[in-house]
Amino acid sequence: MSIQEFHVSDSYIYNRSTPLRWIVSHIMRHKWFMFAYVIGVLITNGISVFIPVLTGEAFDVVLGNETASGRSLSTIALIILAIVLVRGCSDLGGQYAMEFIAKRLERDARDELYLNLLGKSQTWHNQQRVGDLMARANNDVRELNGMMMPGFSLLFDSMSALVIPIIVIGTLNWRLLLSPIIFVVLFVLALGRYMQQLGPVSGRMRMQFGKMNATVAETVSGIEVVKINVQEVQEGSKFGRTARLYRDYFVELGVVQAWYLPPLVLGLAITIGFLHGAYMLSQGTISVGDLVAYIGLLFLLRYPTFISTFTFALVEMGFASARRILELMLQETDIDENESGRSEPMEGALEFENVSFGYDDTLILKNISFKANPGETVAIVGQTGSGKSTLTKLVNRTYDVTEGRILIDGVDLREWQLNGLRTQISAIEQDIVMFSRDVAANIGFGVGRDVTHEQIVQAAKEAQAHDFIEQFKDGYHTQVGERGVTLSGGQRQRLAIARAILTDPRILILDDATSAIDSATEDRIQTAINRVLTGRTTLLITHRLSQIRRADRVIVLEDGKILDQGTHQELLDRCVLYQRIFGKKDEATSD
Amino acid sequence: MGFVMDGLQAEGYDRQYDDRTLVRRIGRYFRPKLPTMLFVSGMILLNATMDTVLPIVLSRSIDTLAADFTVQAASILAVTILAAGGLSWLFNYLRQAYTARAVSDVVLNLREDVFESILDRDMSFYDEHASGKIVSRVTGDTRDFTTVVTLTLNLMSQVLLVGFLLIVLFVVSWQLALLAMMIAPFIWATALAFRTIARRASGTNQRARASVNAHLQETLAGISVAKNFRQEQTIYDEFQEINEKAYSVNLREGFVYSSIFPSLILIAGIGSVIIVYFGGNRVLNGQVSIGDWFLFVQAIGIFWFPLTSIASFWSQFQLGLSAAERVFALMDSEPRVVQTDSRPLKTVKGEIEFKDVSFRYTEQEQVLEKFNLTIDAGETVALVGHTGAGKSSLGKLVSRFYEFQDGTLLIDGEDVRTFDLGDYRRQIGMVPQTPFLFSGTVRDNIRYSRPDATDSEVDTVAQSIGWGDWVNGLPNGLDTDVGERGSALSMGQRQLVALARVLHENPSVIILDEATASIDPVTEAQIQESLDVVLKDRTAIVIAHRLSTVREADRIIVLREGEIIEQGSHDGLMGQDGHYAELYNTYFRHQSADYVPEG
Repeated sequence: MSIQEFHVSDSYIYNRSTPLRWIVSHIMRHKWFMFAYVIGVLITNGISVFIPVLTGEAFDVVLGNETASGRSLSTIALIILAIVLVRGCSDLGGQYAMEFIAKRLERDARDELYLNLLGKSQTWHNQQRVGDLMARANNDVRELNGMMMPGFSLLFDSMSALVIPIIVIGTLNWRLLLSPIIFVVLFVLALGRYMQQLGPVSGRMRMQFGKMNATVAETVSGIEVVKINVQEVQEGSKFGRTARLYRDYFVELGVVQAWYLPPLVLGLAITIGFLHGAYMLSQGTISVGDLVAYIGLLFLLRYPTFISTFTFALVEMGFASARRILELMLQETDIDENESGRSEPMEGALEFENVSFGYDDTLILKNISFKANPGETVAIVGQTGSGKSTLTKLVNRTYDVTEGRILIDGVDLREWQLNGLRTQISAIEQDIVMFSRDVAANIGFGVGRDVTHEQIVQAAKEAQAHDFIEQFKDGYHTQVGERGVTLSGGQRQRLAIARAILTDPRILILDDATSAIDSATEDRIQTAINRVLTGRTTLLITHRLSQIRRADRVIVLEDGKILDQGTHQELLDRCVLYQRIFGKKDEATSD
Repeated sequence: MGFVMDGLQAEGYDRQYDDRTLVRRIGRYFRPKLPTMLFVSGMILLNATMDTVLPIVLSRSIDTLAADFTVQAASILAVTILAAGGLSWLFNYLRQAYTARAVSDVVLNLREDVFESILDRDMSFYDEHASGKIVSRVTGDTRDFTTVVTLTLNLMSQVLLVGFLLIVLFVVSWQLALLAMMIAPFIWATALAFRTIARRASGTNQRARASVNAHLQETLAGISVAKNFRQEQTIYDEFQEINEKAYSVNLREGFVYSSIFPSLILIAGIGSVIIVYFGGNRVLNGQVSIGDWFLFVQAIGIFWFPLTSIASFWSQFQLGLSAAERVFALMDSEPRVVQTDSRPLKTVKGEIEFKDVSFRYTEQEQVLEKFNLTIDAGETVALVGHTGAGKSSLGKLVSRFYEFQDGTLLIDGEDVRTFDLGDYRRQIGMVPQTPFLFSGTVRDNIRYSRPDATDSEVDTVAQSIGWGDWVNGLPNGLDTDVGERGSALSMGQRQLVALARVLHENPSVIILDEATASIDPVTEAQIQESLDVVLKDRTAIVIAHRLSTVREADRIIVLREGEIIEQGSHDGLMGQDGHYAELYNTYFRHQSADYVPEG
C-alpha cells in the first residue's frame, strides 16, 4: 500500500499493475454477470446461424430435394420463429448483464479514484489543475462505461458473429471454408491499417476543434480590448487560420474514413464464395439449399465488417482512459498519516530553522529562520510570488520542507501525528472555499457533525458574521453557492474566520488577501481578524497597514529570502524596500 | 444513432425563420459547391443502384443454377457480383471523400461569416449574452450543422436503396412485397417509441451526472479545506451517496438503450419467418420463382437498418435546421451603435463635451438625463459615486461601446458620430477593471494595439512604467508566457501589463476603471508609479476606487443618479461636508494610512 493521507479500512483492493489487469480485476468483482453475458451472447449468435441454415433447408423442401430431417415448410417456419423469440430473450439478457458490468465499473472506478485523490497530499493536489482531475474523474471514468457498453459488448458480439457463421459453414462442407478464410485474413489486415491511419487523424481534428474553440472564447472574453484597439482584422485572421486548419483535418479524416477497405474485401469474398459454391453445386457436392445457406451465412459477415471500426475505437479509447486514471492513482504522494506520532495538545511555539523548500531544482524558499512565541503574531509582507503563501503552507505539512526543519513546541513537524497536527492548526487561505450547503454547515465544517447550533452562532458572532447571516432570508439555513446566495469576499472571509474559531486552533495561518470595497465592511473584517488571532500563534499574510502595525514581528520576503525582520517601526527606519512601500503612505497622511 | 437531443437554449436575439427561408439561405452557402454536390448526388445514386443490383443478381443466379448449371453462366454471374461490390465501394468512396471536401468548405465559410459578425456586434450584445453561448454558436452549432448535412446525404443513399429495392420487389410479386412491408410500421413505431423513452431517461441521467460533476468540482477545488480540517471522511460519505444514485439512474438509461436493437432485430426476425413461410408456399404454388423468393429473404435483412435511420431522421434534420437558425440569428442581430459619417481622423487633442446627453440601457432604467460635462484636453477627472450613479456609463459612451439616445457628444468640438469608428477608437485607450490578457507572451500583449511595433519599442514602454523593475519580477522577462487569459501572472502583474499596453497605444484619451482587488503592497506601489506615467498629458476619465488616485486627480466629479452634484478637489469637497464626504467615509476612509478599524 502506498503512502496515503487518508484511507477507508474496508475498501476493495484492485490490481493496479497494468490497465488490462486493472479492468479485469474490476470486472471480476461481477463475474456472475460476465458469465451471464457470455452465455447470452453465445446463445444469441449460436442459434442465429440456424436461420440461414433452416432457410436453405426450406429451399430444398420447396424444390423437392431430399433433406436429412424431412421437415415440412411450416415446421421449419415455426422453428425459425422459435429461434427468433429465444434469440430476442437471450440477446436482451446478455445486454442487460453487460449493462450491470459497465455501470458498476464506472461507479466503482470513480469511487476508487475519489478515495485515492482524498489520500493524496496537498503538495500533489497543488500541482494538479482541477480541470484535469475533473476530466479524469468524469470523462475518463465515463469512457470505461462506453468501453464495456457498447464497446466490448459489440466487439465480443461481432467477433462471435464472425466466428460462428464460419464454423457453421465448415459443417455444411469443409471445402466451403476457403472463401471465409481468405476474408478473415484480408479483413484483419485492412482493419488494422485503417485503425492505424484513423487514430492520429481524428486526434488531430479533435485537438484543432479545441483550439478553434479556445480562439473564439478568447476573442469573445477580450472583446472590449479588441474593439478599443481596433484589432478586429487581427482577430479575424487568427480565427481564419485555426478554422482553415480544422477544415483541412476534416477533409483528411473524410478521405481516411472513405478508404475503408473491409466492405470491398467482403464483396470479393462473396464472389469467390459464390463461384466456389456454384462449382461444388455443379459437381453435386452440395445442394441448392446448401448454396442458399452458404450465401446467407456469408452475408452475416456484413455485420462484423461494418461495426468493427466503431468497436475497436471505443475499446481503444476505454483503455487510454484506464491508463490515464491508473497513472493518476499510481502517482506517489509524500506525506502519510504517521499514526504513531505525537498528538499532545500544543503550546503554540513555532520555529523555522534554516528552512528551504522547492520543487525539482528551483527553490521557492531559501534559508528561512524565525521564531514565534506562543500567542504572538508574525506578519509577512512581500510581492506576489515571493513565497509568502508557500511559507505558511509548510506549517501544517501541506508541503514538507526540502531542507532545515520546522519545530512546534520544540518538536519537528514530521514527528507529529498528522491528525494531531492539523486539528490544532487552522488555515484561512487566500481563496476561501465554501461548499454548497447551508451557512451553519459551512461554519461547522471543521469539526465534523458534532457541534451545536449555539456554538455556531457564538462563533459567527465573534467573527462579525452573525449580522449579515441574520439578514439572509433563511438565516443560518441559507444555502451557499450556485443554488443559493452568492457571498462577497468579505462575507466569505468572516465565515472562514468563524469556521476557524470553532475549531479553536493553537496556531492560526491567515492569508488575508480580501479587499473590502467599503469602510464599514473593512471595520468588521479587521475586528474579526483581531478577535481570532488573540491568544493564538498567528502567521498573517496581509496587505493591511493597520494589521502590520499591530504585529509583534514583520518579515519582509523577497524572492524566497528574508530581506529583513523586525517591528514595523524598525523596518521603516532601516529597510529601503519597506520605505518605498509604506513610507509614501505615511507621508501622504501627514500632509 | 442520434436518438437523443438536448434542449435548445433560447437567447434574446433569437428569431424564427420559416423553413423555406432557412433552406434557401443554407442553399446559398452550397451554391459555389454546386458541381461537387451534383457529383456527390450522382455517386449516391450509383452507389444505391449497385447495392440494389447485388441481391438481385444473387437471386437470379439461384434461378439459373437451380435450373441448369453452366460454367459460363456462373462466371458471368460471378463477374457481375464482383463488379457490383467493387463499384458500390468505389462510388461510396468518391461520395464520402467529396462530401467531406464540399461540406468542410461550406462550414468554413459559414464560420468565418459568423465570426466576422460577432466582431461587429456592440458591447451591449456581449454584456447581455453569456460568452460561452456565443462561442458555442460559432463552433458547436456550425458543427451540428455539418453533421446534419452529412447525415442527410447518408439518408439519401439509404432511402434510394430502400426505394429501388421496393420497386423491384413490387414488380416481382406485389403480394409478397406487401407482406414484407408489414414489418416497416412496427420497426418505425418501435424506433420512435424508444426515442421518446431514451430522451427522457437520458435527461434524468444528465442531471444525475451533473450532480456528481458538481460534487467533484467542489470538493476537488476545495480539497485543502477538507485536508486542513481532516474532514475527508465526511465528504467521502457524501460522494458515495451521490455516486450510488448516479449509478442507478445510469443503469436505467442503459437498459433502455440496450433494449433498442434486440427489439428491432426481433421484429426483423419475425418478418423473415413470414417471408420464409408464405414465400415458400407461393413457390410451391408456382406463383413466384425460387430466385424471387430468395430475393425477398435477403431484402428483409437489408431493409430494417435503413428503416430505423429514416424513422429518426426527421428530428435530426430539425436539429440541424435549428442549429442553422441559431447561427443566422447571431449573424442578423442588429447593431445599435451607428455612425452617421466616417470622416478620417488623425489625432485628437482630447477635449470631451457631453451636451444634454440622455442614455439608458433599457427602457426601464434611465441612466443619464440631459447630462452636461466638459473635460479639458489633458485633464484627469476622477468619477466617484455609489454603484448605479452612472460612472461607468460615461466611459462606455466615450468609447462608443454604447449608443446614447439623445443629445450630442463632442470631441474637440466635433460630433463623435461623424468620425470613422476605427480611427476614433485608436485615439481612445482603456484599462478595464479586470485586465484581460491574450494567450502569448507579455511582449505580445503590450504590442497588441500596434502589432507592427519593434521589440525595442516594446522594451522602452515596459521600462518606462513602475520603475521598470516589475519586468525583472517576471520569470522570463517580457517573454514570459502569460498563460490562459493571463493566469500565469498575478493580478497586479496583469494590471501592469494592461497599463503598458495602453501606454504603447499612445492614445489621447484614457478611460481607466480602477481595480478593486487588493494587491500586495510592493506591486501596488509599482502600479501607482505607472499610473503617474500613463495619465500624464492625456485626457483621463478615471472611475476611481483608490484614495490616492482621487487625491491626485485634477478634478473630482461626484455623481448621484446620473447627475453631477458636486465637483472640485479632495480637500475642497471634504470641507463642504456633502455627498463626497459621505462617499469618503463609505469607500475611502479605510484606505488612509492612519486608519484604525471602528467598532
